[in-house]
Amino acid sequence: MSAPILRVSALTKRFFGVTALDQVYLDVREGEIVALIGPSGCGKSTLLRCLTWLEQPDDGFIEVTGKPFGRELTPGGVVRRQSRRQIDALRPKIGIVFQQFNLWPHMTALENVVRAQIVVRRRPRVEAIRRGEELLERLGLADRMDRYPHALSGGQKQRVAIARALAMDPALMLFDEPTSALDPELVGEVLTVLRSLAEIGMTMLVVTHEIGFAANVADRIAFMDHGRILEQGPAREIISAPKEPRLRSFLDLVQADRRPIHPLTPSNITE
Amino acid sequence: MHFDPTVLADYWPLLLQGAWLTIQVSVAAMAIGYAAGIVVALIALMPGWPLRLVTASYVETLRNIPFIILLFVVYYGLPFAGIRLPATLVGTVALALFASAYYAEIVRAAILALPRGQFESARAIGMSPASAMWHVVAPQILRALVPPSTNMTLTMMKESAVLSSITVPELTYQSLVVQGNTFAPFEVFAAVASIYWLIASVIAEASRRLERRVGTAQAESVSRNPIAERYLSLVARRAS
Amino acid sequence: MGFKLDYLFSILPSLMNAALVNIRLAAIIMLLSVVLGTAFTIVRSLKITAVNMIIAVIISFVRGTPLLIQIFIVYYVLPAIGLDLSPEVAGVSAIVFNSMVFVSESMRGGLATIETGQIEAATALGLPPRAIWLKVVLPQLFRRIVPVLINEATIVVKGTALLSVITVVDVLRTAQQIASANYRPFETMIGSALVFLVINLVISLSGRMTEARFATARI
Repeated sequence: MSAPILRVSALTKRFFGVTALDQVYLDVREGEIVALIGPSGCGKSTLLRCLTWLEQPDDGFIEVTGKPFGRELTPGGVVRRQSRRQIDALRPKIGIVFQQFNLWPHMTALENVVRAQIVVRRRPRVEAIRRGEELLERLGLADRMDRYPHALSGGQKQRVAIARALAMDPALMLFDEPTSALDPELVGEVLTVLRSLAEIGMTMLVVTHEIGFAANVADRIAFMDHGRILEQGPAREIISAPKEPRLRSFLDLVQADRRPIHPLTPSNITE
Repeated sequence: MHFDPTVLADYWPLLLQGAWLTIQVSVAAMAIGYAAGIVVALIALMPGWPLRLVTASYVETLRNIPFIILLFVVYYGLPFAGIRLPATLVGTVALALFASAYYAEIVRAAILALPRGQFESARAIGMSPASAMWHVVAPQILRALVPPSTNMTLTMMKESAVLSSITVPELTYQSLVVQGNTFAPFEVFAAVASIYWLIASVIAEASRRLERRVGTAQAESVSRNPIAERYLSLVARRAS
Repeated sequence: MGFKLDYLFSILPSLMNAALVNIRLAAIIMLLSVVLGTAFTIVRSLKITAVNMIIAVIISFVRGTPLLIQIFIVYYVLPAIGLDLSPEVAGVSAIVFNSMVFVSESMRGGLATIETGQIEAATALGLPPRAIWLKVVLPQLFRRIVPVLINEATIVVKGTALLSVITVVDVLRTAQQIASANYRPFETMIGSALVFLVINLVISLSGRMTEARFATARI
């Protein structure tokens, strides 16, 4: 078996003495969709921020496609923090779609996708535009390319953000709560988009607190609480036969609160 | 009472000289004041409350005393500190000091208005800090800066009329000279008001062009207004 | 010569006494400009084309010329057409005219945020226009522009300092008289700056207590 696309080992992050991530281990293999679930404040978002090195983890290692990211072990056995340039060079490999999308409001949808390609990947503008148009078309935004973000709906903004990340040819896509900034009836739409990405073999790590969504989208679910990954396994097993008591009580809690888990059929996927 | 513009015939050069000095003083005060304002804003944004307290006192003090008082404080204060400058320079310094407080608040507000996620999303995609500033942060800050800055510049230009009270020979001072010579207040002040009006229109027009150039800040502020939002969504729903 | 703090303290009482003139004039000006600004807003909302064109010119004039020039116009030009006003009345009129326009502009901005549905509903109920203004629109409008009015009050207080130029004996003119008698102009001016600082801080702090302050579009 080949090396995982993402390998996180012993990742630890403390904020002013509070441990937000406590020795996190997680592997994501090629083409896999992993959902990271857990109550709010459990460290899911901190993990994503550390994976993109927006937050510097205090300890542990991240490997992307087998290459160390952010911190590396030199042959002499010394741990060394990589330079900013080294980190920036690997960042395009990890595409992230933020909870609030963070589109750049002073650029059109197309320019949002094009600009980073030119600046980071040093593509000629013509090529960047071709790639941007292709991606936006594939995501159903052919008629929205010249719109500014404020003239787009939440779902459209999200797809622009996805296109912006995809244009960098990432090995891995991270999604931070992809359903939370959208109206509930758009959840089906997000699911369709993520599935279409899965079809082209994209590897994804999705942070969510919606169990139903996680069960529908993921091959594997990892449950996190108090900064640790307590249990992980195939989605069906995790939902139907949780072993960890805290996961069991978490599932009871959210299932009592929210609508029942049911597979989404095309009939309830709304635009 | 009759209106006879010919009484001004001999005095146009004087008034135009005054207008030219008004423009020069305003431009110089804008440049100095903006530079000082940026420095004050950047200090205000540094962590720690003592710095914020210092900059807030600076801004609030300058904003709460009348400019004419500030002018006299500087006018008598500089010799007090052993600095002797010509009146025009003193006036320019006072005007720049006055404007710097407002520019500082404008710059600070523009930087604070930028969501934190903007810089981060550019960094996360692999842009260097400099590229992220240039491509993502700066254009948005600039766009938020233009309308209030030009508005403030207009205010400052008008405020420069007060420099007449320390004998700076700008437009208002010259108008009082001409008024004293002609005893034709109607003609004199009609002419002077028109000149100010013209300068103000030029600034306003320049501001409009600059705003158009830096982008569609306005469309966005409309869509952020909750009532406008609700209205727009109603229209959209009716149309679909 | 060093800074004489005891001298500064010794002149503060007479400066504070003179400040009563500024406060009194500012209060009169604010009262008049709110009343006239409201009337102005109502006239503009009638949307009579010719009237609104004239009003647009007046607004552009007030915004495009210095307050000092506006004061000079009232002080020097009106006597020439037979209206001899005392310096105080002339100064108050000029600032009222200026301030009224800005009050009206912000009222118009506030008006745009009142939903038209309310007015339509009131019309549908058969309320006469006068009642709609008095009972529906104006109460909401005033509540919305309170922060603007507080800000305008500090601008008006600062504006009254200009009246010393047309011989009104206010803080600044008193300060100049004191300074020419004592040859300590710097301390005297610092004293008057302090007086204005206190007045305006009191106004804006009391305003801040009523509502979070608006971003100031103008000073």
